[in-house]
Order: sequence, then C-alpha cells, then structure tokens
Amino acid sequence: MSDAFDHSALPDDELLAAEYALGVLSGAERAAAEQRVARDRGFARLVAEWEQRLAPWAAEIPDIVPPPQVWDRIAGALPAQSQSGGLWQSLAFWRGLSFAAGALAAACLAALIYLGALTQQQPLVATIEGDGHRHFVATIDAKRGTVAVVPAAFSADATRVPELWLIPADGKPRPVGLLRADRTVTLTLPAELAALAKGDAVLAVSLEPPGGSTTGLPTGPVIATGKLTSL
Amino acid sequence: MDLDANRSLIAAALGRIPAGDRTALQTVYRLTSAKLFGVCLRILGERGEAEDVLQEVYVTVWRKAADFDASRASPMTWLIAIARNRSIDRLRASRLSRNMTPIDEAGEIADGTATADRALEGLQDHARLHGCLDGLAKHERTALRGAFFDGNTYEELAARMTVPLGTMKSWIRRAMIKLKACLEQ
Repeated sequence: MSDAFDHSALPDDELLAAEYALGVLSGAERAAAEQRVARDRGFARLVAEWEQRLAPWAAEIPDIVPPPQVWDRIAGALPAQSQSGGLWQSLAFWRGLSFAAGALAAACLAALIYLGALTQQQPLVATIEGDGHRHFVATIDAKRGTVAVVPAAFSADATRVPELWLIPADGKPRPVGLLRADRTVTLTLPAELAALAKGDAVLAVSLEPPGGSTTGLPTGPVIATGKLTSL
Repeated sequence: MDLDANRSLIAAALGRIPAGDRTALQTVYRLTSAKLFGVCLRILGERGEAEDVLQEVYVTVWRKAADFDASRASPMTWLIAIARNRSIDRLRASRLSRNMTPIDEAGEIADGTATADRALEGLQDHARLHGCLDGLAKHERTALRGAFFDGNTYEELAARMTVPLGTMKSWIRRAMIKLKACLEQ
C-alpha cells in the first residue's frame, strides 16, 4: 500500500467490511468479500453494521414507483406452489392465511378506533390546470394516506414524464411521485406529507426526465398547478 | 402511515415469507418497492436495467428472508443493502456507462439534505449521519458520495477526482474510520 496513513484505528476485517458495504471493491476482491459474508458470521455482522451506518443516506434518493409489470415478473419467477408438499405445505399455507386474517382483523379494529378518534376528515381535491387546460384531477385520502391522480387533458411527451409535487404553506416542493398520461395513478402519501396536505397547499406537475427528478426538486418546467380544496 | 408502524409491518411480512407466504412478499413489495427502485435507478441510471435488478432483488428477498433478523437489523437497511449490492453487481458485470463525470471539490454533487424527508424510518439516523458526514473533509465526503450513490469503484473514483489510486484508498479508509468514530459518539 502506497499510502502512509495509519489504519490501525480499525482492524483489517473491519476496513474490508466497510469497503464491501460501501461498494468500492471490484472484481476478485468484491467476489471474495461476498463469499466471506456467506460463510463467516463475524464478518457478515461487521458488514451489516456498516450497512446500518450507511443506509440512512438512501433517504436522499427519491422514491420512484416501478411499473406494474415488475411485480408480475417477480410473481412469475417465484417457485410454483408445490402440490406435493402435502400436510406440511398446507399447514404452512393455513398458518399463513390465519396470520393474514388475524392481521386484517387487527388492522380493521385499529382503523375503527382511529376513525372513532378522529373528527371526520373530508377528502381534498385539486384540479391541476395550466395553459388553459385541465391536465389532471387529484383526490387526497388523508385517512388512507393516498393520492389518486386521474389524467384529463394531459398529453404524453415522448422524452419526459409528469411528476407530482406537493407545495405546502412553506413554498417548498415535496416530490410525491410519477404520473401517467394513460391511466389513473394512486400514490402513497407518507404521514409527514399527508400532514402537509391541507387546504392551503398546492399540487403541481412538472416534466422530468424518465425516472423523475433526481434532485428532490423540479428540474423541468412546471406545466400545471392546482390548489387543494375540501369536497 | 406512521413510520414505526410501517417498519413493523415490513418486518412482520418478512417474517412470514420463509413459510412460503406470497402475499407477505407482495406486502413487502408494496411498502418498499418505490424506495428500492429509486436506489437501483440511482446506481444504474437506466430504467430497463433497474427494473431487471428490482426483480432480482425481490426474488432474493423471497429466498433469503429467513436470514433477516428483526431483533438485530432494520428491515429497510437490510432491503437497501440487497438493492445496492444487486445493482452494483449488475453495474460491474455490464457495459453500462457509469457516472464518470469528473468531480472536484468545487463541483461537489448537490447536497440532498432537503429531499431526505421520505420513506425511511430513520429521520434521526439520517440527521446523525449527515452531521458526521459534515465533519469529514470535503474531498472525503465527495468520494464517499460517488461510491454510495453512483456505485463507483476505487479506480473509478480515483479517475473522477484525478488522484492516484493509493490516495483514493487512503481518503476513503480515513473517512470510514472518522465516520464510525463520529457515529459511535
């Protein structure tokens, strides 16, 4: 090693784990580290600790909803549900089902309690218009934390995609997700965004490169806006 | 949805996958795919490739869910690590053009602090990491960013920042040592 820096503050294994978790290794070095993760629990734990340290950085990467066919391909790639698994297979299946049913019941109960505790929340709507055209109509369901966006007069652009932004009272746009010209898109609204979606907030649509803005702010032209109002 | 509740939902769904529960995988996908697709797309820079890798990621989750230990790790950390590793493997194996835009200290990639308000449970973790990153020298932070967000190797980072390979290794290692010490305070 040509550098004079003293690495003694971290043992070699710990440095290798950090390099692997960060992703700077290549070729044989990366392959060797990967194999070590699989067979050396101590090393795997060091890697996991580094992943834990670095993971919060991913909060800076905007969420991008993948196209629906990705899930279809995943479902298709899973092993076929075995018929020959017999009792064990069906036990696991029924156990899974009762788990799911239990979770559903718990979720319903929680929803009822939640609803009971809230004063009635009205959905919010926004007609997103620009240049004299009504481009999209958005409905926010704050209870479920979703925003459904129906395309109206918006016509697709071959090179750019429409991205939805929520602009609350502070005037700072928050990315919500990508829209489609050809069908309704339902996006999830994280709790902190849902809390900002009030009567004084504005929804805006900008045109972005495929995949959406990577800066967290609109990079392309804002083509339409609409104020949120209670139904 | 409350972010802690989200975290428990993901962890609980991961726990049901080893029994062969496909709806559990679908739940994990519904709650996390937008974040993980963002991660894959950021590293790969190409939508088709990112979709392929995202598929690999969830098939890996299906196969390896039994390895996830909710008492030791956060589910998002575990999932993000899989998404980054699969994306980096794909990047290394392919001829995809990497982000090799020269970077120097003046041209530090725009700081993303303002966008860090979504999806991950660890807002405090993020603030803490950011505080520690701010304590690094600017060239160290820039090199770490290139590795984390662009999937660059030591060699690529050395080329982007026009320094010898040994210098780059030294920068990154020194940065990691400082980062660990700061995060443990």
